[in-house]
Amino acid sequence: MYNKGLDPRTLAYIQTLVQAASMNDDWKIALDKLLVALRAEFVFDNAAIYMVDQATSNLEIAHARAVGRGKAAEADAAWGESLANQVLARECVIVQDPLENANDRISQAYLLGLPLYNGSKVFGVMVFVRFGGPIYEEAHITLATVVGSFVAALLFRKLHEKTRQQLTTLQQKVQLQDDFVATISHELRTPLGFIKGYSTTLLRSDTTWDEETKQEFLTIIDEEADRLAQLIDNILESAKLQSHSVQLNMQPLRLEALIRDVVLRVCTRHKNLEVELLFEPVPPIQGDNVRITQVFDNLFSNAIKYASGSKISVVVKEQKGSLLVIFSDRGPGIPKAYLPYIFERFYRVPGERTSKGSGLGLYICNQIIMAHHGKIWVESELKKGTTFYIQLPIKSAI
Amino acid sequence: MSKRILIVDDEPRYLRLLEANLRTEGYEVATAQDGVQAVDIFSSQPIDLILLDIMMPRMDGFSTCQRIREYSNVPIIMLTAKGEEQDRVRGLDLGADDYLVKPFSATELLARVRAVLRRSQIPTETGQARFFSHGDLKIDFARAEVWRGEQPVSLSATEYRLLLQFAHNVGSILTSEDLLTGVWGPEYKMEKEILWVSIARLRQKLEEDPHAPRHIVTRSGLGYLMPPLEV
Repeated sequence: MYNKGLDPRTLAYIQTLVQAASMNDDWKIALDKLLVALRAEFVFDNAAIYMVDQATSNLEIAHARAVGRGKAAEADAAWGESLANQVLARECVIVQDPLENANDRISQAYLLGLPLYNGSKVFGVMVFVRFGGPIYEEAHITLATVVGSFVAALLFRKLHEKTRQQLTTLQQKVQLQDDFVATISHELRTPLGFIKGYSTTLLRSDTTWDEETKQEFLTIIDEEADRLAQLIDNILESAKLQSHSVQLNMQPLRLEALIRDVVLRVCTRHKNLEVELLFEPVPPIQGDNVRITQVFDNLFSNAIKYASGSKISVVVKEQKGSLLVIFSDRGPGIPKAYLPYIFERFYRVPGERTSKGSGLGLYICNQIIMAHHGKIWVESELKKGTTFYIQLPIKSAI
Repeated sequence: MSKRILIVDDEPRYLRLLEANLRTEGYEVATAQDGVQAVDIFSSQPIDLILLDIMMPRMDGFSTCQRIREYSNVPIIMLTAKGEEQDRVRGLDLGADDYLVKPFSATELLARVRAVLRRSQIPTETGQARFFSHGDLKIDFARAEVWRGEQPVSLSATEYRLLLQFAHNVGSILTSEDLLTGVWGPEYKMEKEILWVSIARLRQKLEEDPHAPRHIVTRSGLGYLMPPLEV
């Protein structure tokens, strides 16, 4: 049953407005539909919505639509910016008629400015522009005010969505930081446990150890102290690479010689390791000696950890203006499902012996190779082995 | 006869560290690199104590502890890499007797091993009544056996010692410190988690309804007691 005076047509119109404002997930589409629906009863050429910038307290344009004569004039036409500032300052509806001496229709702008409220606080302004009239009647202003409150709700939703997105991003960052701290403290504890255990063993006053055993224990302490130092270096390195604050020291570099040095060093610590080197004659490249060495240190250390006992082969050759390094082991391989993630920071293949590795090694490799404008990728087959490919430009663009 | 200790860790350097220290004290040592090996060794040799690492490939320390507890009350000390309460409580919940947080010192290790082995000696009482009963609960001191009604109850040495504390002090409130000192030793005085978990396990085994215990009752803020039975 309708009250007298509220005719079905008016009600239908109100319903269209409400639906336009409320039935769309995207606030921009909702706003456009609302303005289109409004035009059925309320004529305007341009509509502009300004929001108060939280940081500067100035008005910033949030949404603008030219639907009538304003379309052709674009930037030249009036968008009511100075009126918007007045509305913001006085916190009331302002109607502004065109200047007396304006002659063309585009200059004859009739403006209506409405404050947009969040509670009792003005947080934005909506401006309507009519080129060449008609003037705003009392009923028009009431209707525009109603629509203004819908618009305010939509804008508020936009703010809300933005805040929520920021929050999600922050939460992910915090989670990553937490994981980082947990992983790192566990990693640091392992070598520390050996240092503590073996040194207190040697310090025991209730027993004595023979010379050979003392040497054995002291060697372990020494090696674990090195491992701890390397771990700390890796953590700092990855933090630097993460924040892109690494300076590369580019020099002419012979990759074959560099790899030979790494192999020599690795083989003194792992006497049984079998390494096959297949080097074609290749030109020198531009690169940072220390960083590239780090890459191969990491690849060898991974192969020794995860493919222990396997032979390692390293091929260096020239291919299409780049150097290609093929680094393969014949270990157990990495399941296909995990391959896309292994260069990510802190990623560790599930089920791997959890007491080793920090999830930083391959991340660091990738960052270093990328900083050299190169590429690193991996192929792996279960029970056959894993192969890393590194491509480095011969003539560096850096 | 010297005690035989099984040490289980996937890091050879931990095995070496534990073995070297334990041998100086006259213990015999067996080693395993993962849980599966540990269970194999445990079922084929006499073992008096197990030192069990948590993070291991194949079968981790928690599962290993659980598996062994299905058929044995052998004392188990968990080696936890994280000093986190959560891990400690989980180990105790699964029936471990004690834990050692890495990094630990050699003397700390030996003290814990001594304490746990000491606890695992079943005290035999003399000059007292042989049997004790409290409702449906019955203890045969001479044979160190516990019954709930007609059902024999299998308790670990630590749990049995804890139960004796109550049986010998019916009607008196025992504080956490009393119990920790009496059962575990003075160095455990502050380790309330061990007590909480052990009492909970004891209730699971002895009480008809572990949430409404009748044999071992909590007196909030004071301690625990075995209440005198109303006649």
